[in-house]
Amino acid sequence: MISAANEGDDAAWAAIVARFAGLVWAVARSHRLAPAEAADVAQTTWLRLVENLDRINDPERLGAWLATTARRESLRHIRLQTREVVTGEDALFEAPSEDRAEQRLIARERNTAVRQGFARISERCQSLLRMLAAPEPFTYEEIASATGMAIGAIGPTRARCLDQLRRTPELAAFGIG
Amino acid sequence: MAEDTEPEELLMAELRIFFADVDPVPPLVIETAKASLGWRRLDADLAELLSDSALEEEPFALARGGHAPARAVTFSSTGLTIDIEVHVDDPERTLLGQLSPPSPATIEIQTMADEPLSAEADRLGRFRVRLPAGGPIRLRVLAADGPGRPPVETSWITV
Repeated sequence: MISAANEGDDAAWAAIVARFAGLVWAVARSHRLAPAEAADVAQTTWLRLVENLDRINDPERLGAWLATTARRESLRHIRLQTREVVTGEDALFEAPSEDRAEQRLIARERNTAVRQGFARISERCQSLLRMLAAPEPFTYEEIASATGMAIGAIGPTRARCLDQLRRTPELAAFGIG
Repeated sequence: MAEDTEPEELLMAELRIFFADVDPVPPLVIETAKASLGWRRLDADLAELLSDSALEEEPFALARGGHAPARAVTFSSTGLTIDIEVHVDDPERTLLGQLSPPSPATIEIQTMADEPLSAEADRLGRFRVRLPAGGPIRLRVLAADGPGRPPVETSWITV
């Protein structure tokens, strides 16, 4: 698929984008970048992949490569953020959520509970869980690339973070987890 | 869900639903990603990003008065090194560049906009160009001396 994309095959490229767009987005958002900045990071990451298509030999490592690239771009963005204050604790939720007509009250209440509980846990846990909650689950290698964590630390940290989240009053009250 | 599902997995599933709802990948981000394939390098050598001061730790930047020096970026291909300094005066960006070895050349600055900007490097290999706005760019260098040399294109960077 990578070599087909490198030959200009739009369908192959679209399949790669469909598979990994959620990963790239989640990495940028887990660095607490606002949506406009995360969009810049995603764009640069995909352009970098295009220029490197002829050198990625191992398709299995494509996700890790994208995670690394998105992480580096996110860090660069953070360092260059001199004018704006680094986005605050609600940065993860700035994306406009469409208020769909069919959205039920109960779903909204659950979302509120998750949102409030999530805001209480440590930043490190927020970042890790944001990534793990990407639509297509990350491999541990991809998470290691996206966070700089050792692969062996990911499992225990994930368990600790989920435990933190489960014990927040909002989630405990809702009976989630 | 099965009753014996780990509580951890239930909570993860809850988070996945939550983020898919409140923070989905914006459609424009996906469209832009798909369009990126149009920027494949067809006839040029790649000048790779060798260093970018924006990626280096600068623990003393604030101690020096909070005035960061201009961002310095270096690209390199076999036979050509391109150094640029990025000066930001929002929304404009000014690039000051140096080709090594020095030689006159035409520099195209490709952006997501339709038409690339262009600049001329003088015989000392120096060039200067002003961009109306920030965003991803790459440089395409066409040496003035000789049709035999392929153009060189840099990696994309966001300025």
